[in-house]
Amino acid sequence: MSTRSESQARSAGTPGRFLFVWGMPLVLAALSVFGLLAALLGTGVWHWASWLSLGWLLVVIARYWLRPGGR
Amino acid sequence: MTAAAKIKTWYLVHKWTSLISTLFLLVICVTGLPLVFHHEIEHLLGDGKEVAELPAGTPYASLDRMVAQARSMYPDEVVDYVYLDDEEPQVYVGMAAKPGDGTNTGHAVRMDARTVEVLEDGPTYSSDRFSFMGIMLALHTDLYAGLAGELFLGLMGLLFVIAIVSGVVLYGPFMKKLEFGTVRAERSRRIKWLDLHNLLGIVTLVWAFVVGVTGVVNELSTPLFRLWQANELPALLEPYRDRPVPTVLAPAQQAADAAVAAVPGRELSYMAYPGNAYGSPHHFVVWLRGDTPLTSQLHTPVLVDGVTGQVAKVSEMPWYLTALELSRPLHFGDYAGMPLKILWALLDLATIVVLGSGLYLWVARRRANDARIAELVRRHQAAAQPQRNPA
Repeated sequence: MSTRSESQARSAGTPGRFLFVWGMPLVLAALSVFGLLAALLGTGVWHWASWLSLGWLLVVIARYWLRPGGR
Repeated sequence: MTAAAKIKTWYLVHKWTSLISTLFLLVICVTGLPLVFHHEIEHLLGDGKEVAELPAGTPYASLDRMVAQARSMYPDEVVDYVYLDDEEPQVYVGMAAKPGDGTNTGHAVRMDARTVEVLEDGPTYSSDRFSFMGIMLALHTDLYAGLAGELFLGLMGLLFVIAIVSGVVLYGPFMKKLEFGTVRAERSRRIKWLDLHNLLGIVTLVWAFVVGVTGVVNELSTPLFRLWQANELPALLEPYRDRPVPTVLAPAQQAADAAVAAVPGRELSYMAYPGNAYGSPHHFVVWLRGDTPLTSQLHTPVLVDGVTGQVAKVSEMPWYLTALELSRPLHFGDYAGMPLKILWALLDLATIVVLGSGLYLWVARRRANDARIAELVRRHQAAAQPQRNPA
């Protein structure tokens, strides 16, 4: 890590930084919590919000599984 | 502890909690698939009738008529409970050979809540344990071993939750230099499945954690109800000590009305008759539900004197029963229509892949270790060979 420049090390896109590893998992975790609670606390549009946010998890799985290297 | 020692410890935790629980979890996940759709499957497989097409807002019949209908079909039995479906205008009247015997001889008559037409005269629960859905439910919840089975599978669920937590801790060091979602398909099969295990595991993390924890809580429902009964009933039952369960009861509708009047803004959900195994030997326990999405899941129990039909106590829901009630929708995935059920099934399938790949990785790792050891042995033997044959 010491060979990397300061500016590189500060960005989330650099291996070894906290958000490089945990950025996406945190986003997906927040999306999951929202999806699970939205339908429990509301109806109508909240049900749609729930379906879309939980459905997004499956989109993420499909994207990386079916097209490895296709980034 | 050094960082390396920490990783090693977490790896051991992950390995052993997974190894012990994986086979049971696979059974739970596979049987969970049809259980997500139990409502639809029972409609398809059942030979019962559907509720009649009546104008919206047709009022419900009196509970007394429903109870009388069921009693006329089984004159030698007692009523165990009345349950009003919250999705369709139908009611289940539970019957049993004698008070409190629901688990052994219980069965339910399903009827249209407005016309009291009998839609289905259900089998006893004990014989229904061997129907297709009964088998799925038993494998999912108690392995036909009653409370012991529930507690055992609850423990397996707890190990699953620990495996999830330790898996998240290990995700960090594994992914230190890999971009999110990396699947190294060009490397060995083991590396590819390691990456998929990490990807599917981290994406389904919160869902699997919530379904795991709520599953454990659901397995504790019997002891939690016993705890509630032990806290709530003794003081109320003191005047009726040593008396049998009353057989001449206040009319069901009168008892329900008294409970509804005691808690404004709530409606009848479930009524346990005196003697019901999860109720009181002397009272109707009337469970009322609210009318918002959240409060429809949260009940208020009202104890109504079984003989006089007067409210004895509006009970406070203890925190552990609130937790149990919230654990039901969050485990069953039945609180936002068919799309949520489908998502539940797909996330369940993803969890099956995580479990299966975890098992494969353990086997492959062992195989890799065995091969490495075999290679070392071969090298040692090869090195020893010339010395033994000098000529």
